Amino acid sequence: MIRPAVTTLAGAIRRAKKENRTVLTEIESKEVLARAGIPVTQAALATSATEAGKVAKEMGFPVVLKIVSPDITHKSDVGGVIVGLDSKKAVEEGYATILKAVRKKQPKARIEGVAVQKMAPEGTQVIVGMSKDPQFGPVMMFGLGGVLVEVLKDVSFRIVPLEKRDAAQMVREIKGYPVLEGARGKEPADVKAIEALILKLSAFAEANPQVEEIDLNPVFAYSDGVIAVDARIVIGDGG
Amino acid sequence: MRQRQTRSVRADRAEALSLQDGYSGKLNDRLARAFNPKTVAVVGDKKMMGYMWLNAMKTFSGKLYSVQIDPSEIPGIEALGVTNYKSLAEVPDDIDYVLCAVPRPVAARIVADCATKKVGAVALFTSGFAETETADGIEAQRQVTEIARENDLLLIGPNCMGIYNRRLGVRHSGDQPAGDPGNVAFIGQSGTHTINFSLVGAVHGIKCSKTVSFGNAVLLDAPDYLDYFVTDPETEVIVMYIEGVKDGARFMESLRKAARKKPVVVWKGGTTVAGGRAVYSHTASLASAPAIWNAAMRQAGVIQTDNLDETIDAVKALVYCKPTTGRGMGLVAMTGGQSVVITDAFEREGLEVPLLTQKSYDELASFFNIIGGSYRNPLDAGGTIGMGFMPGNLQKLFEILERDKNVDAVAMEVSGTFIARRMRQNPAMLDGFVEMMAKQRDESKKPFVAIAHPAHLEDIMLEIRTRLLGRGVATFTSFQAAARAMSRAIGYWRGRRGLD
Repeated sequence: MIRPAVTTLAGAIRRAKKENRTVLTEIESKEVLARAGIPVTQAALATSATEAGKVAKEMGFPVVLKIVSPDITHKSDVGGVIVGLDSKKAVEEGYATILKAVRKKQPKARIEGVAVQKMAPEGTQVIVGMSKDPQFGPVMMFGLGGVLVEVLKDVSFRIVPLEKRDAAQMVREIKGYPVLEGARGKEPADVKAIEALILKLSAFAEANPQVEEIDLNPVFAYSDGVIAVDARIVIGDGG
Repeated sequence: MRQRQTRSVRADRAEALSLQDGYSGKLNDRLARAFNPKTVAVVGDKKMMGYMWLNAMKTFSGKLYSVQIDPSEIPGIEALGVTNYKSLAEVPDDIDYVLCAVPRPVAARIVADCATKKVGAVALFTSGFAETETADGIEAQRQVTEIARENDLLLIGPNCMGIYNRRLGVRHSGDQPAGDPGNVAFIGQSGTHTINFSLVGAVHGIKCSKTVSFGNAVLLDAPDYLDYFVTDPETEVIVMYIEGVKDGARFMESLRKAARKKPVVVWKGGTTVAGGRAVYSHTASLASAPAIWNAAMRQAGVIQTDNLDETIDAVKALVYCKPTTGRGMGLVAMTGGQSVVITDAFEREGLEVPLLTQKSYDELASFFNIIGGSYRNPLDAGGTIGMGFMPGNLQKLFEILERDKNVDAVAMEVSGTFIARRMRQNPAMLDGFVEMMAKQRDESKKPFVAIAHPAHLEDIMLEIRTRLLGRGVATFTSFQAAARAMSRAIGYWRGRRGLD
């Protein structure tokens, strides 16, 4: 059975502190953000291949499997992600494949299990994040997603708290904005939904000073809504 | 010397907030008293310093007192015509503003005296505090801070030049103008830049209302002065020179509020001290200090500059040009080559050079000299207006641009070569030309700028620029400077309207 989102931020922080880590897992992060009204793909933790298969069947195919470990930042790099699994058998086999690959590439990583997640349809990738500036405090960031964001640095920033106008401006400020407007025959993305996501995340950051950083990457933008496919929360010492 | 703080942001913020709440009464009213003093006391001025402060305050229209305990200094002070007392307590008057220039070991005593005397505010020119990054300096700073805080005493600095009020003649240096009012306030983290802005600005027709060099900002900080200048009726434009801020959130809030009421220009100096940061995510690794600062300034709706010249140019456009939210420029140049280059300059700064209306073209056709000229927009008008030699045509041109709905603002080249030739034949021609430009500036509803490039005729062009600025015509020394200033001013006014 897929567990409903029960993780509170306080609970997740307690658990993380006990385990001596500052990074919440993808599952914890998503549950906390879902409670705050932020659209995220639901991820359920499976701790065995059988469980993974059962959970996947209940969710509906295709699914994505992702390694859950507080010690792994780039899951794909260590073979920790398999997408497009469309049968119970494929999922069970996928589970085993992931564990084998990860244990080989990062033997010291603490493994909690594998997250099973409904595969979201392909959309325009964007990245939305929050980090803390020593002078200004919490800062929101927006950019088009993918590998290029780190290379091109085509991102915009605004200081928390954000007004509606700030979210609208920061989305339109990036050089790649025409992609969101629907370049090359693609449908325009739901920019209003992107702005709403930025504002919600900004409010969440403002209300929770113990949160040090948030990464929503990638967020898929469709013509009618957005959804964060991966999420990561880093906790600090309270603002 | 710069002050570097290595305390946590949280501690700084907590202190800043408690300090703001810590001052009793309305801080803006209390600052108004200090910035518009009726009585000023200079403590500790010395012959060795050339009596720099008493000389600076020579122009003060109110009552000036000296406080100096060293008997060997007193004759020199009295020779300046200033009454000296051995202590603040002995001054038979309320004191609105104290400039403290004593050496560091005596500073705490003077600050305590200021507290007892209940002066309006004290500015500590004295240096050698936390900016030295020594234990002694830090401790000395802590002492003066505590005395001021415990006694609800407004403390400016330490390590600063304090207040300049042009109208009342309260000055930082003997070079500064005094006696007539101004409308541009300056808040500076550096004494040099604060004084320079007033001096260089004056050459460009910019008159400061008040300025403050705020030094180490232990109690009063940039946002406090910013909040005050928003309420100061004399001040129309606020300029700041900032290297770093202690309470970014408070700074942002003050900036946002201020920019909604008056134009604000923030000149950023230096780079912030980069905090060491563990990089956990894309977000943190991409957020560099300049990118964040730029975003914050854009978000606050202020104009951002990074050098003195551009700061002064932006202020000129704000002070002398009527506000507009339109980007369409009407450009008037004297030759074909200049009409190309002036268009490039304005387009590069994000402004537009639109075609005129058919009505305008029909009117221009009736008199414009198209042999060696053109009027597409830009207008290559040398042969038509002869740089004022044919004033009737220039007037007609202005009127057409005024009526043209595609034109939101007008920029005109003032060509040295054209003018020099005419002036040799008829020196009075310059008067007529300046009058016509001033009339255009006064009567037009649209912003109007002139570009008078020094070229190879620096002395004539300087005279022309000075005269035009004296009549309130925003005059710049290059097309790109004019374009950048106009673009920034228009961007500011658009932001005020919620456009973009």
